[in-house]
Amino acid sequence: MTMKIKYILLCVIFSPIVLLSQEKLNELKAPSSPASGLLGLQPSAVLAPKSYQALETAIYSNFMTNSGPVIPNDFALEFTPYWIKNHGLTLQEYLYPTRKLDQVIRNSSFSIASTQNFLLGDSTASNALAFGYRTTFYFGNKTDRLRIDSLIKVKIIPHKIFSSIKTKVNYLLLQKPNPIVKSKAEFLDSIKSTVYDELHKYYCEDQTIKLWNDIVAASYTLPMINDSNNKDFAEQFLDIIDKNTNGDLIFNEFKSYIKKREGLSVDIAYANILNFPTSDFGLCFVPRQSVWITPTYQFNKNLDFLTVMGVLRYEWYNLNYYNKYFPVLNNYKENMDFGLAASAQFNKFSFQFEVVGRYSYSEIRAGTDSNGYELFRKENRSDLQYIGSFNYNLTDQIVLTYSIGNRFEPLLNPDHTLVSSLAINFGFGAPTKNELNFK
Amino acid sequence: MRKTYYYENLTYNVDDETDVNFTIKFISDGNSGYSTINTPGPTNPEIENEGTVFIGKGKDLKNQQINCVSSFDNPIPEEDEICIEYWINDQLIQRHKNLKSEEERPVIDLTITFE
Repeated sequence: MTMKIKYILLCVIFSPIVLLSQEKLNELKAPSSPASGLLGLQPSAVLAPKSYQALETAIYSNFMTNSGPVIPNDFALEFTPYWIKNHGLTLQEYLYPTRKLDQVIRNSSFSIASTQNFLLGDSTASNALAFGYRTTFYFGNKTDRLRIDSLIKVKIIPHKIFSSIKTKVNYLLLQKPNPIVKSKAEFLDSIKSTVYDELHKYYCEDQTIKLWNDIVAASYTLPMINDSNNKDFAEQFLDIIDKNTNGDLIFNEFKSYIKKREGLSVDIAYANILNFPTSDFGLCFVPRQSVWITPTYQFNKNLDFLTVMGVLRYEWYNLNYYNKYFPVLNNYKENMDFGLAASAQFNKFSFQFEVVGRYSYSEIRAGTDSNGYELFRKENRSDLQYIGSFNYNLTDQIVLTYSIGNRFEPLLNPDHTLVSSLAINFGFGAPTKNELNFK
Repeated sequence: MRKTYYYENLTYNVDDETDVNFTIKFISDGNSGYSTINTPGPTNPEIENEGTVFIGKGKDLKNQQINCVSSFDNPIPEEDEICIEYWINDQLIQRHKNLKSEEERPVIDLTITFE
């Protein structure tokens, strides 16, 4: 770790300003694992079973003990049924499904999370389970299609060159019992026309000559051919071919692009919590449910650093439950959040700005009329949150974040709406969707 | 350096008058690549991604070796293995499987002797 990073870490750890307690900011976007997100868990590991047997084992081994069923602590599981099986999808079919419904099925994931430390209003720890569902629709556009088609055409070229040259290399070096060529010079002389012809199918004359010269120059570092190392020599020579035709580079570019495709995608997620305020399994409540609809537009080409995201989050609260177990809180029955966020990334820096409006609504019992019918009064409130965040990647795993802005009125300290927090994320948090190993 | 998976000493019994077709089938999702089949004739049949090619009459292949070199990759994040089958006519010759954590861009090298 460099001195600079150590210094920043020390500043953050010992600074009294940054340690002022603030309630956790509610993430604007739908959580990668809706169940964990709604419970507020940051589990140390998310189980991602890759078969139905593994799913059964994961559930049985965590929820069953010798003394009977339990709700495990700090448990998170994400299950994506579609990717359990092989379907032999081609890359084109994967990227552009024939039926739109296929996208929903492929991206559907189910999550379960649980904790034994769900704190009630009087700080009593209780058991809680959460269930979630998430899927994503991607709406491809013409630019994306052209980019994908172009990348696929480019990506196949190194494969064509490689397979063709390797068949010739095999013929020259791996013939049994006696290979055709006996020395490196003889090999280069024999392979030249094949390499040249293959390269010239895709590169102009000058480029082909330059590539061949580079390949020959790199081949000088290869060991001399002898009877025992023909296979190693062949693989090292083919590695030079692969490097000179940018096989790895093109593959990685393709891989990066399909994780961040240009166009509109919409995440839809739902989660609910099941709380057992006493140890009695018969007494359970569904205190809270949430639905997220998050449309995201990823720009590309000159604006590929920019992502624009909208959010619609709808939450229901069970007021009977909250009045009983969180009597101090003034919760509303329904909350609707709607907003917009833009984020930009430049190498190690990233910025995000979000504006979210909240509309809260409740019907509160106000007694009974003369006929004994219950009366209700309506109560609603609007609020606005705007927060800017600045992130700096100290390393691949450590991110320094500073956020400033105005948050929704917190339930505990309604006047404390100023957000000014400095935080370090060590990469132990809940995984992102791309980090989850679904298969 | 890319990992090469060698499958040597594979055999296939063929009748003289049988048309021999070579097939590559993708089993896992999101594979792509190119294969060249070195046959005794003047040209080498090729397969882009998956498919079937005619590689010759039984009598032309008998007592000969063919060499199939496949260069594949798998870029999709949801898939964690690469699984591909090689068939001659209706017979499975070899099923290849490797974890992507081991190699995302495998080279598969099959040598098949016709008997």
